Amino acid sequence: MRVPHRWRRLRRATACALVAVAAVVMSGCDAAEGGIATQEGIPQEIKLLGVRDQTGPVAYAGIGGARGGKLAITEINRSGFLGDGVKLTIEEIDTAGSIETASAEMAQATADRTVHAIMGPTQGQQAATVAPMVERAQVPTIFTQAGSDGVVINDYTFRATAPMASYYHLATEYLAAKGLRDVSVLYNATYPTFAEIGEGAFPKQADRHGLNIVSSTPVQSTTQDFTTPVRSIAGENPEAVVMLLTEPQSVTALTQLRQAGYDGQVMGTSVQGGGNLTEAGRHGEGVIYPTDFSPALRSEKARDFVAAFRERFGQKPDVYAAEGYDGMWWLARAIKASGSASREGIKRGLQQVAKEGFDGVMGELTFEGNDMRVPGVLVRWNGRSEELVSDGGAS
Amino acid sequence: MAQHILNAVALGSVYLVFALGMALSWSTIGILNFAHGATFMFSAFTAHVVTQHAALPMPAVVLIAVAAGALIATLTQLLAFGPIMRRATDHRSAELRILIGGIGVAAIPLAIAERVTASAPFGFRGSTYQAQVFEVFGLRMTTTVLVIVVAGIGIGVGVWRWLATSRQGLALRAIGVDSETASLMGVDRSTLALGTMATSGALAGLAGALLTFQLGAISPASGDQLLIKAFAIVVLGGLGSMGGVIVGAFVLAGAETFVLAMNQGTWVDAVSFGLIFVVLLLRPQGLFGRKEVRRT
Repeated sequence: MRVPHRWRRLRRATACALVAVAAVVMSGCDAAEGGIATQEGIPQEIKLLGVRDQTGPVAYAGIGGARGGKLAITEINRSGFLGDGVKLTIEEIDTAGSIETASAEMAQATADRTVHAIMGPTQGQQAATVAPMVERAQVPTIFTQAGSDGVVINDYTFRATAPMASYYHLATEYLAAKGLRDVSVLYNATYPTFAEIGEGAFPKQADRHGLNIVSSTPVQSTTQDFTTPVRSIAGENPEAVVMLLTEPQSVTALTQLRQAGYDGQVMGTSVQGGGNLTEAGRHGEGVIYPTDFSPALRSEKARDFVAAFRERFGQKPDVYAAEGYDGMWWLARAIKASGSASREGIKRGLQQVAKEGFDGVMGELTFEGNDMRVPGVLVRWNGRSEELVSDGGAS
Repeated sequence: MAQHILNAVALGSVYLVFALGMALSWSTIGILNFAHGATFMFSAFTAHVVTQHAALPMPAVVLIAVAAGALIATLTQLLAFGPIMRRATDHRSAELRILIGGIGVAAIPLAIAERVTASAPFGFRGSTYQAQVFEVFGLRMTTTVLVIVVAGIGIGVGVWRWLATSRQGLALRAIGVDSETASLMGVDRSTLALGTMATSGALAGLAGALLTFQLGAISPASGDQLLIKAFAIVVLGGLGSMGGVIVGAFVLAGAETFVLAMNQGTWVDAVSFGLIFVVLLLRPQGLFGRKEVRRT
């Protein structure tokens, strides 16, 4: 039977399309088997991807991390740290506060064989979702923040943020040293990091240092008004209040705590850093908190970093920027240590640098496996900026 | 105990001012505005931006937020909900499209505020207003709480009575019952819808300003959390009943305050919304709703 002319044309067009698709798929397979990022040695361009929030509820962490990383890249490239003409480049992809977006973008990023390493999402749930993908694709990924369990779970996942609980002892030691023994705890029990400190780390440390926990008040992430819990706390009149809350919660709780008549010491967390207490005005003055980085640090590295950051971005760096900066230097040191910018080379290098530790803007950095540890620093918010209370060895 | 009751009244008043605007548009012109939370937040954000450049007293800050809220809601009605309603073939499809349209509209101010603030909390630090703390019969409160309680209860009762007795209120209720018949009776639906949305937005702006003064700061995401509570309050009180909204706001605030006072803060949402669930099981139309759904 003779096929009509237009059907033959259609069949020919379909066949051509199939061949084109097959070619694309074949080339994709070739890339998947080989690709630039799997070649040993150090190429002239080392391509990185930042897959993290640039918008959304925790955009401040992603933006800070990206800025710190960019500053480090400029210094690494300018100094020829990885060899003459070798350049690190980074492209930022916004996960917009969404786990689904983070997952989709990471799937694309890990499939791109020109990408040598990834700076991963800052939000814990996003990071925990993409961590298994990282192992399957064997792409070394450095996370900042992302303090949840389930993030550093394999040889390809690394974290450049020390868990808050690992340096919160600075707060407990300060309270004990100042004789502030009766302490009330107000904490966000639905936020894993705060729940871990409020229910685990702090009570243990308090017990060890002879502090007496007068009351422990859990709230939710959705709690906006603190009138009732802070009135109870003010009625107990403890010598100090340990406040483990998110940014907007901290401002409200502090304001309402002072309005309830409490004028004792308030001990916060690094969440209060980066000027997040500014909106609390006079109510925020005198709050002390342990943090992994402060612009008030006196070490030469920290001072140079603060100056360079201010010159480039017109503001002081926050903890997120410091973590992004030290994370990028960890990566650069890893490439140098292994002598390779391949994915396997970077993974080996990151592990090697982690074993040795290095000196960063956050102080003498050590590691537990692939997870960073910092000496930490205790600072006081004076209403305008942070003042050093004790440096914990970070300076 | 009396202090906890006062705390519950203060919290309920904030919920009430916010929920009133949402209930007004939902129960009269049939617009369940999911952009109400974003209007609330962006009104406060607008006032925040202004106070960064000019030291203003509390009434001026509130006025800016109210004007911003009214403007946002009017624009939303003119550019989004109005065209959706005109093009919809029936009431059911219009409601669904308005719901989705509201979510879309909400994303714009949210994205702007998140971009400008990097999602950090913002407040009215530039305002000249400083809350004063005082004690009455052993009850400690601030001037902000006093303003919120007076505004919340005053506006709540005012809107309730206005809808029940005024000519325009009756016209709005008529639209809520049967918009086509109301139009045939000479009610100008479009103008009233625009006015209702502007009032609803103004109430969102008022809530935004008052809550920001009360809390010290809010974040771009704060509106979303209140939206869910307002939704629960309207359903609990009974759709179409402004009196129900007033009671619903204080019932929710009372339940939350009770759970917090018992030092069971992680159960606040579970207990509060569980209570609403139980009420709705026993009275599906809400506390003051009629069995046959008739709006206000």
